[in-house]
Amino acid sequence: MIIRLVSAALVAGFLAAVVATGLQLALTSPLIIAAERYETQASAAEPALLSPASLIVRVHGGHDHGTRDPSVAGGEVAPDWQPGPGLPRMAFTALATLVGGVGYALLLGAVLLACNREPNPETGLRFAIGGFLAVALAPALGLAPELPGMEAAPLADRQFWWVMTAAATAMGLYLIVIRRAPITIAGGIVLLVAPHLAGAPEASHAASNLPASYAAQFAARSLGIAFVFWAVIGLAYGWAWGLFGRSRAVHA
Amino acid sequence: MSTNTLVLTGTRTNERLGAVLVAAFLGLGLVFMVGFAPAMALHNAAHDFRHSQNFPCH
Repeated sequence: MIIRLVSAALVAGFLAAVVATGLQLALTSPLIIAAERYETQASAAEPALLSPASLIVRVHGGHDHGTRDPSVAGGEVAPDWQPGPGLPRMAFTALATLVGGVGYALLLGAVLLACNREPNPETGLRFAIGGFLAVALAPALGLAPELPGMEAAPLADRQFWWVMTAAATAMGLYLIVIRRAPITIAGGIVLLVAPHLAGAPEASHAASNLPASYAAQFAARSLGIAFVFWAVIGLAYGWAWGLFGRSRAVHA
Repeated sequence: MSTNTLVLTGTRTNERLGAVLVAAFLGLGLVFMVGFAPAMALHNAAHDFRHSQNFPCH
C-alpha cells in the first residue's frame, strides 16, 4: 500500500508542480524580482552592490538573512550559494515546487488513508481544499504573503506561528468535518480561531520603498496559485491512486 | 458512512498504519526541506517557491 501511495503522490506532485511552476513563473516571480530591485536600491549603501556587474550576480544580495556570521572578522562574508539569475533560478524554483508538491501529496495521501477514505478525485479534492485552508489561507490571514524587502517579525517567530496555525487549522477542520459531533465541532471552532486570537507575530510598519500595489497583487496571486496547486494535487492524487490500483489488479 | 470508507479492516490495519506513518514522515520531511530548512543553499534554491507559497522567508 505504501508503494501505491508514494506512486500516486509522485504523480500528483509532478502534475501539480508543472501547473504551479508555470503560474509562479508567470505571475509571482516577476513581482519577486521587481521587489528585489527595490530592496537592493534600499541597501545601495553596501558598496559591493554599487557596480552593475555585482548587481547582476547578486540580485538577492541585499538581504540580511539573519545568518551572517558575526565572528567573521572585518564584516567580510563569503556570499552564500544561490542559483544564478534567469534559467538556473527558474529551474530551482521548479525543483522546489516539485519537492513541495510531492511532500504535500504524501501528506494528503496519509490523511486520506488515516481518515479511512477511498482516494478518488472527489475525496482528493475535498481534502486538498482542507489542505489549502490549513497551510495557505489560515497562515496568510496572520502573515500575509510577503515580497522580499518587506519588513517582518523575526523568522523563528513567524515559522513557529505558521506551523502552529497550520496544525491547529488542520486539526480543527478534522474535528468539524470528519468527527461532526457537537462537542468536537465546538472544539474545532476553538482550534480554528485560537491562533488568530493569539495573534501572528507583529510585522513592523516601517515604510518600504516597495509600491503597495506590488504587495497586494503578490498576496492575491500567491493565494490563487496555492489554491490551484492544492486542487491539482487532490484531483491528481485521487486519479493516480485509482490508476495504480487498476494496473496492480491487472498484473496480479 | 460505510459506503465511502475503505474496506481494509482487520489484517490490513497494520499495513495501513505503516503506510500512513511512512507517508506522513516523508511528506513532512520534504515540506520541511523546501519550506523551512534554515541552510542558506536550500533557502536560496527554494526562495521563489517559499515566497509564492507563503512560507515565512527571511
